[in-house]
Amino acid sequence: MKAVGARLPRYDGVAHVTGRTEFVDDVRVPNMLWAKALRSPVHHAGITKLDTKKAAAMKGVHAVVTWEDVPRLVYGHLEALGIPGDEPLLAKDEVRYKGQPIALVAAEDEETAQLAAEAIEIDFDERPALFDIRKAADPDAPQIHHWGNWYPHFEAEMDVRQIRKGDIERAFDQADTIVSGVYRPAAIEQAPLETQISLVVPEPNGRLTIYSCTQALYFSMGVVAAHLEWPLNRLKFVGGTVGGGFGGKVDTAAETVSALAALKAGRPVKWRWTREEEFLCSSTRAPWHMEIADAVTKDGWILGRKMLTLHDSGAYARFSPYGVTKHSFHHTGAYTIPNLHFDGYVVFTNRVPTTAMRGFGVTSVSFATETHVSRTAEVLGMDPFELRLKNANRIGDTSPNGIAYTDPSTVPTIHSIAEAIGHELPGDYRAMTRDARGGDLLPEHLVAQVGEVDH
Amino acid sequence: MNLTVNGVEHELESHALRPLLHVLREELGITSPKAGCQQGGCGTCTVLVDGEPRRSCLLPLAAVDGAAITTVEGLGTPEQLGPVQAAFHDKYGSQCGFCTPGMLLATHALIERSPKAGRDEIEEALAGHVCRCTGYVKILEAVEAAVGSAS
Amino acid sequence: MTGESQAVGLSDVSVLIPSSADEAVAAFGDGKDVTVVAGGTIVLPDLVAGRLRPKSALFLGRAGLSGIARADGRVTIGAATPVSDLADADAPLAEAARHVGDLEVRAQATVGGNLCSVASDDAPRGDLQAPLLALAASVRSTGKDGEKTEPLEDFLADGAGRLVLDVSYDDAPRQAGYASVWRPHTHHYTILAVAAAKRDGELRVAATGVGPKAVLVSPDDPLAALELRDDPLASAWYRARLLPRLVERALAILEGHEND
Repeated sequence: MKAVGARLPRYDGVAHVTGRTEFVDDVRVPNMLWAKALRSPVHHAGITKLDTKKAAAMKGVHAVVTWEDVPRLVYGHLEALGIPGDEPLLAKDEVRYKGQPIALVAAEDEETAQLAAEAIEIDFDERPALFDIRKAADPDAPQIHHWGNWYPHFEAEMDVRQIRKGDIERAFDQADTIVSGVYRPAAIEQAPLETQISLVVPEPNGRLTIYSCTQALYFSMGVVAAHLEWPLNRLKFVGGTVGGGFGGKVDTAAETVSALAALKAGRPVKWRWTREEEFLCSSTRAPWHMEIADAVTKDGWILGRKMLTLHDSGAYARFSPYGVTKHSFHHTGAYTIPNLHFDGYVVFTNRVPTTAMRGFGVTSVSFATETHVSRTAEVLGMDPFELRLKNANRIGDTSPNGIAYTDPSTVPTIHSIAEAIGHELPGDYRAMTRDARGGDLLPEHLVAQVGEVDH
Repeated sequence: MNLTVNGVEHELESHALRPLLHVLREELGITSPKAGCQQGGCGTCTVLVDGEPRRSCLLPLAAVDGAAITTVEGLGTPEQLGPVQAAFHDKYGSQCGFCTPGMLLATHALIERSPKAGRDEIEEALAGHVCRCTGYVKILEAVEAAVGSAS
Repeated sequence: MTGESQAVGLSDVSVLIPSSADEAVAAFGDGKDVTVVAGGTIVLPDLVAGRLRPKSALFLGRAGLSGIARADGRVTIGAATPVSDLADADAPLAEAARHVGDLEVRAQATVGGNLCSVASDDAPRGDLQAPLLALAASVRSTGKDGEKTEPLEDFLADGAGRLVLDVSYDDAPRQAGYASVWRPHTHHYTILAVAAAKRDGELRVAATGVGPKAVLVSPDDPLAALELRDDPLASAWYRARLLPRLVERALAILEGHEND
């Protein structure tokens, strides 16, 4: 084992410091065309007219691509996980978010492509838009998605991700106090320095070589193949050097649209997003709305949690059902709460569809749980370290989705923090371990969860 | 218009308002300066103009007619890294690499004008350069190491 | 996106590059359909993005309009002077100049561009306007009706479409103060700033961020006659609460100098 513990230089370090690292934008191919998109200027509308003839006839324009050029217009990126597709690669009859791509122009230079995109004739019939996930269920809320205003295809066609565990009503009856809180983290744009980009080269043998900034090469390959209805072996993906992604380059769709333009033009096509497009039109981390009510005893046991989560998926589902599912599995965080009542909704709005960003689905609930536990300590007048240690995950405790923890690190982590900041803990808290609860330390409310214990 | 880039003279027929960034990347094939934002807001397009760090995305060609431009390729080669390059490599001052050329040139210019630059001066010199990957700690360590090895 | 556009690309823009102030004045003419490019920090992003599609452009970088001169009791700053050259200028101008953009951007940005920039929701700018108002500066410009020199506040109100040649103020001892909302990073625009200068007992106070251009404000009632609005940087409510505090602070700094 030569590498572990050794200080190794980055294998790409010399290339980085000499400016030789090749990002997609740095790849040079002859006869390359530049692409620019026509994007929706409105949040929600029907498309009543779409005419690309004038644009296509402009000098220097080699291809204009719309929904008509896409062999399979709708493909769910996570169909393998049971999430059906709902999003057209390019808008057909309507637009559901400002910035939604409608057409792509490939031309001799960026400026010509931009002028041609502006020359596409398009008319909209605007509709009311929904931006507040809390209003999605109002009787007068605009209806914005063909599935309804929230995702209805969880298992058994449920419209909510549910976790039920134990007896929540009993937990709330037995509690000395209920601590409630609402947590609403905002959307975050991943903002990598390298914007979305793809370069597609048609090869003489009928294959496509695709230079991509994707974070998930084989995944993107599958997406392109599905939309084009091509076998995978007609695609050669070249990736690996990404100028920052942070989750925002997992649901890349630039390759597919560029590929269609390259096929139509018979020449390589590069589509490089501007910084404005990156901020306004690329997918972000989602905004969330979380309501938590914890049933707690005056000596600091968390008996049960009721939680409602609304996740803002934006105009289409993309990965949101997966994100909310992960979120539900981790909604008690580092603590074991035996009685649970969780409902999570993937709500649609007329915003840019949301996606992954570092810790997808889980960072939101970690923030909410930690803040909530701190508030609970304040309400009870209890030391926040002690409250945490008491309820910390132990070996054998089960997660909200029923997985037994084999190696939870909550207790040692809290001990380390206390030591690092010089926070004195009473002896019995210092003595706590992450071993399975047993003996005198086993609280009654956890007995059913852990099983029979010999006293 | 005339431009000297990393010591090589070029005669250009491009439009007087064409941004230097586009001239370097598309006409001269020098791709180390990047199109991170094209608004002067990120620093990935920074080059040296007669030794001074400037945003090439904001410079029309007419503004640099006759000037000497240095890009990161002019600081050293893989076989022989310049001192700033060596410091960044040694201190892991780079993750994805997109901000690195701009950071290196800003650092090089800083050391040229202020060989004993302290932390405040270093921070001011790099304040316009965004990095989304590293959190800046290792970049600042690399710059301090480069300043240290220069003095 | 969609809509009307003149189909003019960059290659169609005719560019004049005057090599003296006189040539620049002649080339600018009445300014109709001419886009001035000096530092390029404002115009180039708009040109590249297609937000600006001029028929002709005037590049000012070689017209000899750069430089700071002290003569005949006046400080005169050429329109094409880089903002960074003001780092050692009189207070409160120097302090505002030191915080425009970052050091690379302010070495390219020009004083004239800063005076002529039109603040928008996307990019509120013009940090040098308030300090120059406090210094009772005048602007010499050319355009329709030829050359004229007028107080900066008049130029800001109705000088659109004119070419700034220089800005000047009396070279005289003053007390000065500058206070601004702290910018979290160099790419952040100034939300609100106050510049104050007192000379021979006459006090002038001006504010940045209270409208599309900087304006003189009354030190006793800074909010009077201001129509504050919400914008992406801050709400009108926030600015209304903060402006009087910044005026107090700028004046305290100014008075502090007086007590030396």
